[in-house]
Amino acid sequence: MRNLLDSVLKPVRRASDAGSAQFAEWFMQSRHRFTITGLSRSGKSMLFTSLMTILKYRSEQQYQCLPLLRYLPMDLVENIWVEPLGDLPEFPVAEHMAALEKGEWPPATESVAGFQLTVRLRQTHGVKKYLLPFTDIVFEFIDYPGEWLTDLPMLDKTFTQWSDSAWAQQMNEPQNQFAKDWHAAVSEFDFEQPPTPDAINLLVTQYREYLLAAKAQGISMLQPGSFLIPGSGFDWQEYGFTPLPSRISSDLSSPWTQRFSHHFEVFQKRWLADLKQSTFRETDKQIILVDLFEGLNHSKSHLYQLRETLSNLAQTFVYGDPGWVQRHLLRQQKIAKVAFVATKSDLIPAAQKDNLLALLKDVTRGATAQLDKDEIQFEHFLVSAIQATDAGSNEQALRYVNKDGRYMEATFEPLPDSLKAMPGEEHYPALPAGVPRDHLARILNGNGLDRLFQYLLED
Amino acid sequence: MSTTEKTYRSKVTQTEIDMQPPDHAMPVKRDAETLTVVEPAKGFSAKWLALLSGIGCVVGFSLFEAVTFIESNFASSPVATSVLAAVLGIFVLSVSFMTLGEVRGYRKVTQFIHRRPKLSELARNDARQATLDALQLHASQFTRHSYAEQCYKRFTGLLKADHSSAEIVEMYRQFVAEPVKAKASEVVKRESMASGSMAFISPNHLIQSLMILWISMRTIKRVAKVYGLRPATAGNWKLMKILAQNLAAQSIFDLATDEMTNQLSGSLAAKLMENSAEAVAAGALNVRLGKTLMRLLEEEK
Repeated sequence: MRNLLDSVLKPVRRASDAGSAQFAEWFMQSRHRFTITGLSRSGKSMLFTSLMTILKYRSEQQYQCLPLLRYLPMDLVENIWVEPLGDLPEFPVAEHMAALEKGEWPPATESVAGFQLTVRLRQTHGVKKYLLPFTDIVFEFIDYPGEWLTDLPMLDKTFTQWSDSAWAQQMNEPQNQFAKDWHAAVSEFDFEQPPTPDAINLLVTQYREYLLAAKAQGISMLQPGSFLIPGSGFDWQEYGFTPLPSRISSDLSSPWTQRFSHHFEVFQKRWLADLKQSTFRETDKQIILVDLFEGLNHSKSHLYQLRETLSNLAQTFVYGDPGWVQRHLLRQQKIAKVAFVATKSDLIPAAQKDNLLALLKDVTRGATAQLDKDEIQFEHFLVSAIQATDAGSNEQALRYVNKDGRYMEATFEPLPDSLKAMPGEEHYPALPAGVPRDHLARILNGNGLDRLFQYLLED
Repeated sequence: MSTTEKTYRSKVTQTEIDMQPPDHAMPVKRDAETLTVVEPAKGFSAKWLALLSGIGCVVGFSLFEAVTFIESNFASSPVATSVLAAVLGIFVLSVSFMTLGEVRGYRKVTQFIHRRPKLSELARNDARQATLDALQLHASQFTRHSYAEQCYKRFTGLLKADHSSAEIVEMYRQFVAEPVKAKASEVVKRESMASGSMAFISPNHLIQSLMILWISMRTIKRVAKVYGLRPATAGNWKLMKILAQNLAAQSIFDLATDEMTNQLSGSLAAKLMENSAEAVAAGALNVRLGKTLMRLLEEEK
């Protein structure tokens, strides 16, 4: 009898549990999916480490971090916890903090990792307090190598289209300065020979050397970036390809074009499509991290190619403003809010921050034009995940401990407020700041994260 | 691999400095619940001095009279005369000091009300430093160890060089204005409960009126203290007017309830009902007083 009753009640209980979970998700959870889009070296990992540390100390030890974050008032936070995000490996925050403890910056990300962070807020409104006693704010974050990001625009191209555009990019400043050896190798290469694995490998190795050299010199638009890091899931040694000169790529009967087209399709289907599905899942808020110092450190043309890269990336994501019904019932996700963030803003004196913000606006001009067209909200921010520098002896100076442990004072000439104002023959070397001894206090004193998340979370 | 041959002029000059980097302090901890108003150390206050010197005068004159009586020759006691003159001098001085304090306190309240920051205007100010100066000028009036002063200290600990005027004002509201207002509301609520309770248990109207007067004065003092004003000198004509209105309203209410009780006969239930109604009225009038004071001390709209 009991078994019979159980067999009848079990599905009812399951349905009831599922119903209450769904109810909780609809009415007691405010889910915010963030895509943090950042090129290589833009500071994604440090930002995640900093954010998790700050929220932990804010919630557990009541430190007054993030004073401008009114959306998550400290006195209403009941609890905060981190959970794995789907099947993604856990974000190694403990390892990153251990690296900082040893005086090393967190290592560059070479594989994907994610986490879901839930902040439970007490309800304060009269009747709501009894019906819905709490609200969960759920954040989803995914960290990934920035090199993968630049590959996404390749998903919508044929091999020939990609080859021609990649070739054109290499002919421009500043890439052409680093592509000389690669171009020389291609002009000497015998494309009459059949595309044997050895011949392909030779060409791919030389192309990869160009990509690595350009990356070391601050170039951001490098395709395929997935060829550059060992953690990528794509076997570029077996399915390698390179851009081909247009005389070869335009000849569809060329065995090289045919072989590379096949490898390119494998790259798209087996790697990029899955990558977009799992890592660049559709979200409703996007943070685009921009490391302006990479450009300022090198040259004006680096900043121009950064602008081009950002414009290309803006075309990769789906923007729009879905309503409540679309978001909750139809499960449609579109990016409705975008924040452009210049990271490492502690590396310039406070007096220069207005210029840095103006420069950020100019560098992202192409991307914001796209957003304007789609009527998407966007804003620009300066953020430092850790305050690694101190004020200098005057307004234009700051102090930092370099990697050799020496305490330096750097005095800046005024930063350009636009690309046009950037001098052609001058640059602003990036300060090689080491990890400060008091890194925890400096993380908690980081700047701009409260402003950024308040903007993204408020309605 | 050939790379760039170009040389760029650096726009950053660097020099090594011979000093240790400063250690950053951890951010301020949120202790809103445990923020306690530290009372200044209690010493020999002017009130006590006045009282004691008054007693001293009485005793002194008595003694003087006694001495005069004993030694009919007044010229024979110069020391006692000097002591009595000194004590009398202290009494006069301390009463003068208290009076001066009251005048200064009154002026301070007026100044406080006139110097209230117009936060919405400050938020629109492009000059960040001017905003900070305006807030600092207002905060300089907070008495030491007051709740408002502690909130202000916490607020200044959170300021960063890149905060704009709007953000500074927002933070001021969040970390100073709102907590102070919440604390003051708490005080008003508590005092109103006390006022209601007193009205309920008062055996007659004279005692009731005196109780309400006392609670009202105490409310003014305690609310002003939360806002960082010198507690004993929150005397302000506007408030006194409200206080007088409260007493008048309470008296009218008394008449009404008396009449109602007469109509209902003088039963215990009628008396209970009368007292309950008066208690509610006393509480509500005290809330009115507290809210008016809060409006006077809050930011200027």
